[in-house]
Amino acid sequence: MTTDDLSKAIVELERDKVMALIKERLEAGDKPLSIISKLQEGMTEVGKLFESGNYFISELINSGAIMKEAMVELEPRLTGSKQEFRGNIVIATVKGDIHDLGKNIVVMLLKGTGYNVIDLGVDVSPEKVIEVVKEHKAPLLGLSVLLTSCLESMQQTVGEVKNAGVDTKVMIGGPIINDKALEYCGADFGSTSGSSAVKFAEEVFGAKK
Amino acid sequence: MAGNQLKLYEERKERYIAAMELKKPDKVPIRLQLSEFTAKYAGYSYQEIYYEKEKNIDSVNKLLEGFDLDTITGAPSLWWAGLHDATGARYLKYPGRELDPDTQFQYHEEEYMKPEDYDVFIENPTEWILNNFLPRLHTEFSTPGSYRANVSLIKGAFGFATQLGRNQKAWETWAKEYGAVPTFTAFSKAPFDTLADTLRGLTGIMMDLYERPEKVRAALDVIIPHNIYYGMATSAGEMEFPLFMPLHRGAYPFLNPKQWHEFYWPSLKKVIEALWENGKRTMFYAEGNWTPYLESIAELPSKSIVFHVDQTDMAQAKKILGGKFCLSGNVPNTMLSFGKPDEVRDYVKGLIDEYAGDGGFIIDAAAVIQGDAKEENIRALIEAAREYGVY
Repeated sequence: MTTDDLSKAIVELERDKVMALIKERLEAGDKPLSIISKLQEGMTEVGKLFESGNYFISELINSGAIMKEAMVELEPRLTGSKQEFRGNIVIATVKGDIHDLGKNIVVMLLKGTGYNVIDLGVDVSPEKVIEVVKEHKAPLLGLSVLLTSCLESMQQTVGEVKNAGVDTKVMIGGPIINDKALEYCGADFGSTSGSSAVKFAEEVFGAKK
Repeated sequence: MAGNQLKLYEERKERYIAAMELKKPDKVPIRLQLSEFTAKYAGYSYQEIYYEKEKNIDSVNKLLEGFDLDTITGAPSLWWAGLHDATGARYLKYPGRELDPDTQFQYHEEEYMKPEDYDVFIENPTEWILNNFLPRLHTEFSTPGSYRANVSLIKGAFGFATQLGRNQKAWETWAKEYGAVPTFTAFSKAPFDTLADTLRGLTGIMMDLYERPEKVRAALDVIIPHNIYYGMATSAGEMEFPLFMPLHRGAYPFLNPKQWHEFYWPSLKKVIEALWENGKRTMFYAEGNWTPYLESIAELPSKSIVFHVDQTDMAQAKKILGGKFCLSGNVPNTMLSFGKPDEVRDYVKGLIDEYAGDGGFIIDAAAVIQGDAKEENIRALIEAAREYGVY
C-alpha cells in the first residue's frame, strides 16, 4: 500500500485533492516527473485493487480520467526533462473489430505502471501494426479482440507480424481468448484479464534488462 | 396451418411455456439465438442479409428446414441497413459501407448525450430526443426542419413500418410452414442500460456516478416508466411469450456493489415488476457474469423472469434461483466456434444431467451465436439435447 498523499488521493478517486496536491507540489518546486511517478504509484495500486476484486471498472475508468486530467496539467511542464519510460508497447484492436473497452483498460494499466503505450485504436490493419511496431522498436505488441468472428483477423495479424520478422513479443487479449484461441493465433501470450497483461509486460521488459 | 405444422407449433410452444412455468415438459426446450450464423448457413454474405430483406427472410427459411429448434428469434439481424442509410445513422457500421462486405455490423458507442444535457432530458425526454439526440445520431437529420431532415424523417418512418410489416408476414410463414415458435415478442431494457449504452456511453456514465449522481438518479426515474411502456407497447397485447431484455452494464465487474445496488438494480426491478403485474414475463438475458447479484435477483416475483446464464456460475444460479425462475444457457460460444462436436455433446449432457432434472430449464448457447459457429457443433448441441433431454 502506498503512503504518499498524492498516490493515496488518486487511489481514493479524490479528483479535487489530486489536482490541489499537484498544484501545491509544483509551487513547492517538485519536479513534474517525480509528481507523475507518485501518480503512477497510485495507478499501480488501483490496478492491484482491480485484480483482487476490490475495485471495479467504474473505479478504473474514473482513476484513468483523473490521471488524464493530471497529465494535462503536468505534460506541458515536462519539456527539457525527459520522462523515463520502462519501454514501448504498441496496442491495437484487430481489423474488423471496433471494440475498445478491454483494450482501454489494458492501456490504462500499462501506462499506469510506467510504459510508453502507443495506442493505435480499433479496426487496425496488420500493415499498420507492423509499421508502428518497427517505428518504435517495441519489444511488446498487444492485440485485442471481442468478437469470435474476428478471431481469424487476430490470427492473420499475429501471423503477418511473425512473418514480417519483427522482433517483438505478441500478447493477445479479449473475453474469447483461451488456450485454444491462443494456439490458433500463434501468439506468445494470451489472457482474458487486463492485469495479466501487466505481468506479461514485466516478464518481457524484465528479461530485457 | 397444415395439420402437421400446427401440431408441431403447439408441441413446441407447450414445451417452451411449461419450462418457463417451472414445469417438466416432455423434453428440454431448445432455444438458440442463431443470428449471423443463419446467414452463413444459408450461404449469404452479411452485406446481403443486412441490406436485402428477401435474403434475410430466406436465410431463416433455410435454417428452419435444416434444424429442429423449439423457438427461434427470427431474422438474423435486428437492423435493416437500408433504413439506417436513409437516415444516415452514425452509431451503426455496416458491411459494404464502412466495413468489409463479410464483416458483421458493429455498434459505435460515443457520448451522444453530454453531461449538460441532463436537465433538459429530465424535463422532457421525448422532446430532447427529437430536438437534440436524433440530430446528433443521424447525418441526414442533423438540421431538424430542413429539407433533408424532413425527407429523412419520412423515409425513416416509412422504412421502419415496411420492415415491421415484412417481418410480421415472415413470422406468419415461419409459424405456418415450419411450426416455428417465437422466443420473445417484445423488447425493453434496464433503465441504467438505456442511459449508459445509448445515451451517455460507458465512460460518460462512469464519470456521472461520481460527479453528478443526483442527475443519474433523476434520469433513471424518468426512464423507468418509459421502459415499462415500451415493453408493453412492443408486446402489442401478446402475453404468452416473454419480453427480451439484454442486460449489459449490470454485469460484474462494471459497477461496484454500492453503485449496483443504488443505481442499476432498483430501477431495473421496478421495470420487471411492472411488466409482470401487466402479465408480461421478462427474458433476463444476463450477458457476462452476474454471480455476485443472484441473491438480489431472487427478490423478483416467482416466474417473472427466465434467468439466462452466460458467464454467471450455473451451479450458483441453480442454487439461488432454481425453483423460482426457469434457467437457460449456457453452452460456451467459444466451444461452438472452436471446439469439437464431442465436447459440445458432453457439455450439453452435463448441463441437462445437473440442472434440468426437475424441469424449468431451457438449453441455449451462452450468448448470441455469430457466423463463425461451426455447423457440426450446432448439430451436436441439438442432437445431444434431444438425446439426453427427454423427461
